[in-house]
Amino acid sequence: MFQNTKCECGHQNHVGTVLCEYCGKPLGEESLSEEPLEMRYDGVARRSQKANPSWIDRIWNFFSSVKIAVYLIVITLLGSTLGTIYPQESTFLSGDPTTYYEVNYGLPGKIYYALGLSRTYESWWFITLLVMIGTSLVICSLDRVLPLYRALNKQSIRKHLTFLKRQRVVFTRDIPGDPEEFVEKLGEQLKRKGYRVNRDGTALLAEKGRFSRWGPYINHIGLILFLLAVLARSIPGWYMDSYVTLPEGEAVEIKDTNYYIKNEKFTVQYYTDDELPDELKGTLRAKLYETKAVLYECTAYCGDLTREPELKEVHRHDIIVNDPLSYKGLHAYQFDFDETPKLKAVKPVLVDKQTGESYGPFELSMTNPEISYQVGPYTLELRDQFMEFAIGENGKPTTLSREPNAPAFFFLIKGPGLPKEGESYLYFPREIDKVRFSQDQINRDIADRFEIKVGSMENVVLSGATTFLNIRVDTAIPYVWVGAAISMIGLILGFYWQHRRIWLRIDDGKLTLGAHTNKNWFGMRGDVASALRKLDIVVEPKSLDNGGNKT
Amino acid sequence: MGASRKTVQIVILIGVLLIGGYAIGKTLFADDQGPPGVGDRPPDFSLLGMDGEVHNLSDYEGKALVINFWGTFCPPCVEEMPEFQRQYEKWRGEDFDILAINLSEADLPVANFVRQMDLDYPLLRDVNRRTERNYGLRSYPTTFFVKKDGTIMEVFVGGMTEEQINERVERLLET
Repeated sequence: MFQNTKCECGHQNHVGTVLCEYCGKPLGEESLSEEPLEMRYDGVARRSQKANPSWIDRIWNFFSSVKIAVYLIVITLLGSTLGTIYPQESTFLSGDPTTYYEVNYGLPGKIYYALGLSRTYESWWFITLLVMIGTSLVICSLDRVLPLYRALNKQSIRKHLTFLKRQRVVFTRDIPGDPEEFVEKLGEQLKRKGYRVNRDGTALLAEKGRFSRWGPYINHIGLILFLLAVLARSIPGWYMDSYVTLPEGEAVEIKDTNYYIKNEKFTVQYYTDDELPDELKGTLRAKLYETKAVLYECTAYCGDLTREPELKEVHRHDIIVNDPLSYKGLHAYQFDFDETPKLKAVKPVLVDKQTGESYGPFELSMTNPEISYQVGPYTLELRDQFMEFAIGENGKPTTLSREPNAPAFFFLIKGPGLPKEGESYLYFPREIDKVRFSQDQINRDIADRFEIKVGSMENVVLSGATTFLNIRVDTAIPYVWVGAAISMIGLILGFYWQHRRIWLRIDDGKLTLGAHTNKNWFGMRGDVASALRKLDIVVEPKSLDNGGNKT
Repeated sequence: MGASRKTVQIVILIGVLLIGGYAIGKTLFADDQGPPGVGDRPPDFSLLGMDGEVHNLSDYEGKALVINFWGTFCPPCVEEMPEFQRQYEKWRGEDFDILAINLSEADLPVANFVRQMDLDYPLLRDVNRRTERNYGLRSYPTTFFVKKDGTIMEVFVGGMTEEQINERVERLLET
């Protein structure tokens, strides 16, 4: 398709130009109207507007369209609302997502899960939309900012009369006297108002606040950085959000890292009644949750199951709510706790009931006991261990779980006055189990001679509270902040400053003035009227209005 | 300037394709983060066996595998172990193995249990429930049937009879 893009001033314009790049004369359809001019992008063609587009151009043009960008944003908004109907899988700590939705929400829940909406924000289509918005941001901006930059960078001072008369702020009057002197004086006045003034004989261009035009593009750069930072979370090692359970005193591996973390002590403090208002007295109100945590780095034998890993302490911190342990981008936040004490070990003695003499004590760990103990002249050989003792269907002792809920230890006692092969003795460390399972009856005769027992509470080792920590790594966060800051700067530039321009020319003693701003027309008219008043031309600012305005 | 514009276009579109392609591709292939199911590869492990050797899952590459999780505290687990033993004997010499992973129990009960049971297929010890968690176990026993190509054919939850095992092993060996 052939299109004549040459202006009467002799300038050859790009396809799609609305206002001649050189003199500002309206071209094409715009020239047929009498309405104020469409000044968007100063009437220059977008980069993508060209004759005979190739397939690359077609893709480019698709993303270059603001209309498409708006559709993309609307679709993304609607899509993201889908993710808010039911909880997302990523928010579960436990529970099986395959059944969760159906159990809790019935058929809609089942459909929700089947459609993959339980992972909306990680779904391929959602990420695709984000990528498309990102592409659109880059291409839209590039297509507009470069021509705009060129247009604003080499503006001609003497514009076409139609261009001036079809601005939204227009003023015409016959000027007696020297036109050049008038233009110079008016230029002086505008300079005082902060305008940069360019003169070309009897024509003038005054301009201020051009930088505010770059605001939207700076905003876009920030948004692109923000988006890239969010996408960068998928780089291995950049993002982690997991939970660890830390029983007291045990270094636990943090999955997918080389770190181990230990809970040396967890404490929870409650407010005393004196500190509480009347209506809360007698209730438990937490004042402090604190985990004394130590972070270790594994230096050797890390994955080796035959040896203990070699750990090196790298950091130590008392974690309280909102004050995490932080080390090289890894953060451990207080999340939950379990104060139920667990029996960790007992230090019983072996009592000879006939003589009253006691031997020991020896330390018996619930989870990791020794195989043999020497107490006085007697040897206790541990033959079996039951975590949650029970008598099975076949009448034999068994365990119901692997948690030390009702621990029992099966010993062979050997020593003076006992058969060579030893006497068997079943020991329940917890008094309640001893009664429940009738320890003395099980042990029969030997129960009359010996007793294994814990003397006092001092000889019971209870584990401290278990703490739960939330482990987070988010390497992208600084970039997210930088992106957000750049975006904010762009927004401020665009919102709080305006790009104002005033053109004027004097032809045969007749002044024609046109002015344009991208916002705040009230201020624009005020600037023009006040500069004219200094040259004794009194006009009501409102009378400069050429229509087509919203303000 | 026409040529440089084209270059800019191509550079930007390639950039979009690379970054966008990576991000989208990641979402498409990230599904194996959940518990392994049919068609997935079982998560790798490296565990100490009752024989004192370290067993890696990768050591069994190319073999049809039965990965069984068991504990002495779980009666159906205990009941099915002799069934697995018989199957192990039946298919000896084939490209087939059984790996029975204990559910992170203490040394003594496991050792005692194994002594009573007379089992000779590899018995491995999980530590701190790590492997169990990677496999997304929710109840015991759970048995994974892994084809020779290294993908899971079936995940069976609950105790199994020899017949049930046999039928699946036959299918495994056909693959």
